[in-house]
Amino acid sequence: MGMQAGGGDHLQSEINVTPMVDIMLVLLIIFMVVTPFLQQGVTVAIPRDMKNPDEDQAINKETSVIISVTCAPNHPECRPEETEYYLGKKKVSLDALKEQVEKALANKKEEDKIVYIKSSVNVSYGEVVKVINAVREKGVDKIGLVADKKKKGATTAAPAT
Amino acid sequence: MGMSAGAGNRAVPYINVTPLIDVLLVLLIIFMVVTPLKPSRFKADIPTQRDPNEDVSQLKPNPLTLVVTIGTDLQIKLNQDQMGSVNQPENLAATLQKTFQQRKEQHAYKVGMETATNIPEDQRIEKTVFVKAPRALKYGDVVKVIDAIKGAGASPVGLQVDDLP
Repeated sequence: MGMQAGGGDHLQSEINVTPMVDIMLVLLIIFMVVTPFLQQGVTVAIPRDMKNPDEDQAINKETSVIISVTCAPNHPECRPEETEYYLGKKKVSLDALKEQVEKALANKKEEDKIVYIKSSVNVSYGEVVKVINAVREKGVDKIGLVADKKKKGATTAAPAT
Repeated sequence: MGMSAGAGNRAVPYINVTPLIDVLLVLLIIFMVVTPLKPSRFKADIPTQRDPNEDVSQLKPNPLTLVVTIGTDLQIKLNQDQMGSVNQPENLAATLQKTFQQRKEQHAYKVGMETATNIPEDQRIEKTVFVKAPRALKYGDVVKVIDAIKGAGASPVGLQVDDLP
């Protein structure tokens, strides 16, 4: 760049990093602000490193119905009676869940009526089945079990479906 | 800024920003990695509510039905055959794949799909698999098995929700 900056007859040999730091800070703040909004529902320990789930961008849509099933962090062994249900970010009881799922699905097209279930791995399967039964009463027959896909290159590829 | 750089015997008021940039870059990369870019899910079908007055005994069982049962001891069974434990579902996946391959050779189509030649052959083969697991099991173990079933090419995967032990 051959930039001759500043004082006297000396060449300044240091790069001016201030604009770069500015940009970095802005990027950092953008990512920090955006990250919590990218995911719908509450944060739960969904199954990780699964080989074959299908990608579905609709999970991050604002309009998707996402039910989270999890236990409070102070109940690590997660007995059935300690399970908590969330619709979106709101904690609900199983009975309220039915009504609100129905409301949320009311003006959706038939083929879009899919409910995503984000369940923590340590929840007992019976609790998940309870939720499934609840949404089934509202005429839903398609559910999506949200899982985390293993990053590429870690294991041998499984055959495509 | 009124900064006079690198001159003579005066003190140089220059902050060393390199460590700051290092930390910022690392934080930036951490956030970029953590940001979930590609959400994914297992699609599963569940039975719709049945009319309670319907006579279930009149329904004919499909001989091609595949049911994967998980026991409370975490052992997997495909129909009646033992398939090993939940943590090693490779055997199950291999058996399912073999079954689907056989069905392709024998042209075992889904009910109602026998003559639908406009649909690709692969989608007409009966590849429905049902999953049955006791309520006491951990959700994580069930999903591991669903992952293996999905990997074998099964579609759709159905979850049994009634009469679970």
